Amino acid sequence: MGNDKEYQADRRKFLVSMGLAGAATIAAPALKTMAADSSTVWAEEHEIVIIGSGFSGLAAAIEAKKLGAKDVVVYDKMPYFGGNSTYNGGLFAVPNSPLQKEKGIKDSPEIMAADQLKAGRGVADKELLLHVAEHAGEALQMSLDAGSEYFPYLQQLGGHSVPRTYQTTVASGGGIIRPLVEQCRKIGVKLVTRAKFDTLIFDDDGKVIGAKMLMGHYFGRDQEGTPMNIKTKRGILVATGGFARNINLRQAQDPTLTEEVTSTNPPSATGEALLEMFKIGAIPVHMAYIQTGPWASPDEDGFGYVSNYSIYNFAHSISIYIKTGKRFMNEIADRKTRADAQLSCRDDNGDPLPPITITSYIHAKEHPTMKKVLKYGVGWKFETIEEVAARFNVPLEPLKAQIKEYNGYVKSGVDEQFGKPMEKAKGKFIEAPFVVVRNWPKVHYCQGGVKIDVQARVINSADWKPIPGLYAAGEVTGGVHGVSRLGSCSIPDCMVMGMTAARTIMKS
Amino acid sequence: MKPQVKVLIIAAAVVLMAGSLVAETLQQFDSVQGRSFHADLYADNACDSCHVNAEPEAYPPDFVCLDCHDSDELVQATARPEEDKWQNPHNNMHYAKDVPCMECHGEHSERKVLCAGCHFFDYPNFKK
Ligand SMILES: Cc1cc2nc3c(=O)[nH]c(=O)nc-3n(C[C@H](O)[C@H](O)[C@H](O)COP(=O)(O)OP(=O)(O)OC[C@H]3O[C@@H](n4cnc5c(N)ncnc54)[C@H](O)[C@@H]3O)c2cc1C
Repeated sequence: MGNDKEYQADRRKFLVSMGLAGAATIAAPALKTMAADSSTVWAEEHEIVIIGSGFSGLAAAIEAKKLGAKDVVVYDKMPYFGGNSTYNGGLFAVPNSPLQKEKGIKDSPEIMAADQLKAGRGVADKELLLHVAEHAGEALQMSLDAGSEYFPYLQQLGGHSVPRTYQTTVASGGGIIRPLVEQCRKIGVKLVTRAKFDTLIFDDDGKVIGAKMLMGHYFGRDQEGTPMNIKTKRGILVATGGFARNINLRQAQDPTLTEEVTSTNPPSATGEALLEMFKIGAIPVHMAYIQTGPWASPDEDGFGYVSNYSIYNFAHSISIYIKTGKRFMNEIADRKTRADAQLSCRDDNGDPLPPITITSYIHAKEHPTMKKVLKYGVGWKFETIEEVAARFNVPLEPLKAQIKEYNGYVKSGVDEQFGKPMEKAKGKFIEAPFVVVRNWPKVHYCQGGVKIDVQARVINSADWKPIPGLYAAGEVTGGVHGVSRLGSCSIPDCMVMGMTAARTIMKS
Repeated sequence: MKPQVKVLIIAAAVVLMAGSLVAETLQQFDSVQGRSFHADLYADNACDSCHVNAEPEAYPPDFVCLDCHDSDELVQATARPEEDKWQNPHNNMHYAKDVPCMECHGEHSERKVLCAGCHFFDYPNFKK
């Protein structure tokens, strides 16, 4: 793209002038980067600068204000707020929650972290997971204070040993982001759109004291924006989310994630802020662990409606391999297990043959997304199993036998085929009429990112110490969840680490 | 100079549009294309009704349309039944009222609705 080049040239010019000037004055700093000097022109100064308006950025802004910060600004490169967070399904895991107490469900931060460690396959960060689980209740409360509304029941998602997941009544992270944005406006957080973070600016001691921003950025419209240096008194929080939409970057980590694998993320998830942090010395962790969502549908773009529909229904549904008419996975195993199993569902030529998920209509209709799924033609209702078999070309007799067998497990409470936990399926037999959707994974979440400590400080590869003045939270950080993140565990991670960053910054 | 008069969008739109002007929405005005509804602005060469300069160099400010169009009236005009209420393009589930008009509406070129990235919502009165 022509304009892209112009921008690059401009950027190089800027670096050269700053860099040379800086080189003369820098004595010690280990960081090879842009250092400010007396010629640096600052367009604005703010007490705390936050980049990114998702859960992490907004939670940090609100917490910082609560702790007495006077001047907090949140920048976002997009013309609106919320990034991945407002596309999100509104599922929010909280251990020891008020609803769990009400329903008599025994849980603890340790049990939640243990579930996550298991999905993380031994390489998740136990300290961070425990920290998040311990403070998740405060994050839930922050959203409630802002006006978020949740269903009065809990869900048990794949890989979770107990029901601990709240969901907003609009079944979207929008039900949290909109209230948080309003809250920010109410308490005087400055919210600025079309402001793209470009590079960090350091003082002579290697402390982050500002950022070069591109103001008036028009995403996807060939207008990068006007460079402006923004100074900060206390520090910068980078909360810019993941990179699922940066095809080069994700494919460099995992060559199977070509442009043919679509994504549930908004186009803004491109990861340039993450790369800037690597450039100045942050430590990359788990960049190749990129999660695909097993509840997505090939019949719609993005997250759509089927995702939330399937997340809710998998516990009491069966997923069927079209060729055999048989189940092929534990429908509520962790995401990676399920996505891998789905990807192995192929036709005789080796082409994708998306499996079908069959749910009894009486159970599917308990969740509001069923109506949308049927209305928008991304799922279908059938009166008999014969109709299902005919429509999807599934061998009828094996399918009938499979349903009979599975209904036996519903009765006995033990899934002898795949070891699926059957508590949530209790009494929920697979019976006509049915609702059927097709599933196929989509790139969903980046477990990888920069290494932070439990105070949300970005760690420097040069000395393994925090980079002064630089903080990160949310999906831009890496290593928290390990190989596979459990569903509904990002909201607590993002909000708690955003709040944690604010607490650390206000103490600094 | 910005027009001081708010456009009475609902009354005007309902009477005028009634399905008739769809093809006319984007029109040639001398060297630029523009919306037929804005013919007066083109007749007056009033680029600065929207753009910061009389000779436009950049996109206009994000919410400049609201100098004339009333946000609440727009929300009302595109309200949907209760179960779909958050599909209202002018007050939606993900961004409430914070989407700049030009993310969906082009003045000099056609655009598609922002939601179309993920959803199949039908907006029958939407003029590209
Ligand atoms: C469709 C979908 C459904 C999901 N459902 C759930 C769920 O139900 N429960 C759950 O726990 N998790 C869910 N997740 C995961 C979770 O939503 C994300 O991990 C989380 O929203 C990330 O939040 P964040 O604050 O880190 O970043 P984001 O919310 O992505 O926000 C980052 C922001 O930074 C901005 N930005 C990026 N680069 C720059 C830059 N250079 N300069 C300025 N701004 C920049 C972006 O525009 C964006 O607004 C879901 C994710 C998706 C995509």
